[in-house]
Amino acid sequence: MSSSQIDNLVSMLNQIANNNNYKKTDEETAKIVANHVKKFWARSMKANITKYADSDGSQLSPTIKLALAQL
Amino acid sequence: MINYFDPATNTTSNKPIDFNKDYGTPASTSTQTVCLEIDGVKITVAAGTSVMRAAAIADINIPKLCATDNIEAFGSCRLCAVQIEGMRGYPTACTTSVKEGMMVSTENNDIAKLRRNIMELYISDHPLDCLTCSSNGDCELQDMAGAVGLREVRYGFDGDNHLDAKIDDSNPYFTFEPSKCITCSRCVRACEEVQGSFALTIEGRGFASKVSAGTSENDFLSSDCVSCGACVQACPTATLMEKSVIDKGQPEHSIITTCAYCGVGCSFKAEMKGEEVIRMVPYKGGKANQGHSCVKGRFAFGYATHKDRVTEPMVRDSIDEEWRVVGWDEALEFAANKIKNIQAKYGRESVGGITSSRCTNEETYLVQKLIRAAFGNNNTDTCARVCHSPTGYGLKATIGESAGTQTFDSVMQSDVVMVIGANPTDAHPVFASQLRKRLRQGAELIVVDPRTIDLLNTAHISANHHLPLKPGTNVAMINAIAHVVISEGLEDKNFIEQRTDEYNAWREFILDDINSPEAMAGITTVNAEQVRIAARAFAKAKNGAIYYGLGVTEHSQGSTMVMGIANLALATGNIGREGVGINPLRGQNNVQGSCDMGSFPQELPGYQHVSDDVLRAKFEKSWGVSLDNEPGFRIPNMFDAAIEGTFKAMYVQGEDILQSDPNTQHVQAALSSLECLIVQDIFLNETALYAHVFLPGSSFLEKDGTFTNAERRINRVRKVMKPLAKFADWEVTQKLSNALGYPMNYQHPSEIMDEIASLVPTFSMVSYKKLDEQGSIQWPCNEEFPDGSPIMHVDSFPIGKGRFAITPYLASEDRANKRFPLLLTTGRILSQYNVGAQTRRTANQTWHQEDLLEIHPNDAEERGINDGDWLGISSRAGDTVLKAKVSERMQSGVVFTTFHHPISGANVITTDSSDWATNCPEYKVTAVQVEKVTSPSAWQTRYKKFSAQQKEHFKRSPKKQKATIGS
Repeated sequence: MSSSQIDNLVSMLNQIANNNNYKKTDEETAKIVANHVKKFWARSMKANITKYADSDGSQLSPTIKLALAQL
Repeated sequence: MINYFDPATNTTSNKPIDFNKDYGTPASTSTQTVCLEIDGVKITVAAGTSVMRAAAIADINIPKLCATDNIEAFGSCRLCAVQIEGMRGYPTACTTSVKEGMMVSTENNDIAKLRRNIMELYISDHPLDCLTCSSNGDCELQDMAGAVGLREVRYGFDGDNHLDAKIDDSNPYFTFEPSKCITCSRCVRACEEVQGSFALTIEGRGFASKVSAGTSENDFLSSDCVSCGACVQACPTATLMEKSVIDKGQPEHSIITTCAYCGVGCSFKAEMKGEEVIRMVPYKGGKANQGHSCVKGRFAFGYATHKDRVTEPMVRDSIDEEWRVVGWDEALEFAANKIKNIQAKYGRESVGGITSSRCTNEETYLVQKLIRAAFGNNNTDTCARVCHSPTGYGLKATIGESAGTQTFDSVMQSDVVMVIGANPTDAHPVFASQLRKRLRQGAELIVVDPRTIDLLNTAHISANHHLPLKPGTNVAMINAIAHVVISEGLEDKNFIEQRTDEYNAWREFILDDINSPEAMAGITTVNAEQVRIAARAFAKAKNGAIYYGLGVTEHSQGSTMVMGIANLALATGNIGREGVGINPLRGQNNVQGSCDMGSFPQELPGYQHVSDDVLRAKFEKSWGVSLDNEPGFRIPNMFDAAIEGTFKAMYVQGEDILQSDPNTQHVQAALSSLECLIVQDIFLNETALYAHVFLPGSSFLEKDGTFTNAERRINRVRKVMKPLAKFADWEVTQKLSNALGYPMNYQHPSEIMDEIASLVPTFSMVSYKKLDEQGSIQWPCNEEFPDGSPIMHVDSFPIGKGRFAITPYLASEDRANKRFPLLLTTGRILSQYNVGAQTRRTANQTWHQEDLLEIHPNDAEERGINDGDWLGISSRAGDTVLKAKVSERMQSGVVFTTFHHPISGANVITTDSSDWATNCPEYKVTAVQVEKVTSPSAWQTRYKKFSAQQKEHFKRSPKKQKATIGS
């Protein structure tokens, strides 16, 4: 998994979070992000981002980390 | 027992309309009926019907020349004179309305004499070349001369006449031969009433009056004529005639089918000689178009038999090799082996495919079935990804169904029509004509668009509101409009209470000052008062309808905007009846259908999610395989995985992803990384330059099937000629599946539709039999709605209540800055279609031979740019070179181009920014810089070289060589 691929997945996750955080707690947003990813992302994309979260995760915001923990 | 026809009891108002007959004047919409007697026959018809139409319904056909039933009566030829008891003289049947108890005589000696005299005058200024005339066999003037028994012309031909009038053959598709004109003005009225262009007029007075396109300096081509063909169809003589009929003669049979261009889905009669299409004539019985057409569907069908059609399968191991022309079996074996080997080496998920929104429902269904059942994964997607995927997401979330809510005809009941990010006169011309008709009747128009689109120049329109927002600020605008509605108390409280959920949270959000037009003006650049006026007009309308296009969806907040539109419709109660609704205008002929048929990676046919065990089990049982329960890749994910090296093969049917998808260089990199690219298309398209297997496709004329248009209308596509490459696309997919070891054995597309009906709840009562009976069906068509559903959500939503969505505005990431100070948007023009593969191979090229960069005069002046200058356009993704067109329809700071020609490289500039929910690319917002240059871009130079090299690989393929040597 190249860094540009990870960058891409991270920016997709941030976009989902930013569009769904109006007056919501981090937990609520994380749940929406997690559901969206479960419903629309391919298996390998989920695996790649989870692997990154487990191994490095430096680019991930706390909300995204919370979301990925729910996959 | 023999039944004798008894004219006295022939009351005929319930007789079905024969769409091949001309009833002379339009149908009345009145629900009241009137009873009258014509030639002793008692007839009951709708009030407001003309005597001519009432007679025609009873099959009493009164002679006529200036009347035809798609335009209002005019009463100029006087040939339809009749006698009516109690009325003086000879009233014209076309302009006289029926009255209760009216007694009409259509034939007697006096009437006959009068009509013969009229015909005699007409013929005294008409060439007598009937035998060699192009309309011989289809000429109303000739028919009428016969009907009235004209036997002599006493005036001779020596006096003044128009027989030497010069032919205008400037239009590539039809000629104007004024010597044959009888000045009935049917063409002029069709141009006004049907098309709404007002390009034709009658110039001069009395004997000198003549039909003229534009001013006397214009010919048809240089006039405002949009070549829709309405005048040609209306002409009762050979004056306006298709060149194909002049060249080849009258067609001998016709078959009703559906146009394969835009999402309007017009019905046409393919008029044939043997297997050759002579002309396409819009079919009056087509419910989407009601007998109208545009330049593409009417005339631009020649691509189907263009010499560039590839009709033999080809294979090669590497794209550096020449193509080998092979037989079908060898090509399919080659493709199947590649797929199997790649899956063995890289895993089940290393392959995928793209279904075509240009192919039929049945073909799309088969491709996704092949991917899910034979490839064993859900890596299927379709070009809706790059156009209307946000519609699917946004409408499903708010109103529960991923589809437009109305019929096109519903617009005739609208009082205010809001058009957002759509350019219907160019992209959905036949619907635009109907919309213009309604606007001329008095409906108000609100256009939300960065450009001054042609719809704003509609003649005879009462009120126009243009909100020329900055690209990328749709959500800010829709929120501002909704803010006005709620803050000024203009919402529909009843509807909100009874039909919606989650209103209070949304109300609180939308009332926030940040959403006010005044606060948003800084973002949208639109004056707040203008927004308030438009918002009030929409909210106060009895019926407010919203139509939108890709200017809504192709944004990083595309899905948010679709939800914002739904919010506005819900808040104003504009859903669930005629004249209102949310109407996505679909780009390609079968975008709606390809979405319905399960092309998306997360959804099985009928939008049934792959992770739902119950739904999936139904498909597993029918298809006899176990299916993956995880979504697959979307198109951009496929490209990313290809570049990463984990995705190795693609089966692409009828879509030119290299030209149509954003960030061309990224797509090139992805396609070059594939070990096997299978392209199925009618032409060796740009994507095919990177292919290893080419499977020849079939055009819409060569197969049976169905397309579903933007109104959810399932229309039949009928085979009018044999497939040039022997097989229709569905047969090829079936053969590929069999070669892969997953058996498919359909004998006819109707069997595929039967399978779809058994698996998709909204299609459960759809069948070819029903389609033939009804003409078309709007889904849902099931136990609940056995005849289909013209208007959706009448009593409830599929999710029960409509849901308001919170839609905060977020700025696009691609913002104009110092380095890239302008914003580029892309789109379509009237004469060309999508990547141009079809229209570039027709005479439509006459109107648009190259893509141009439209730029506002201020931006042009600042850069010293004049019309026709070469411009370098650069973005963070790449750069290309196009010619300049300085245009006032642009706003300052915004530039526009089309992507109809591959060498333009319009998508070299567009970036990989995409919608947050669906990855639909943000084609409508790319920050760019524009400057004058003297040579093509580096990409264009590379591309030209590569393209030329690939053409050599094609030309020099061994079998082709043999053919050339042999011929």
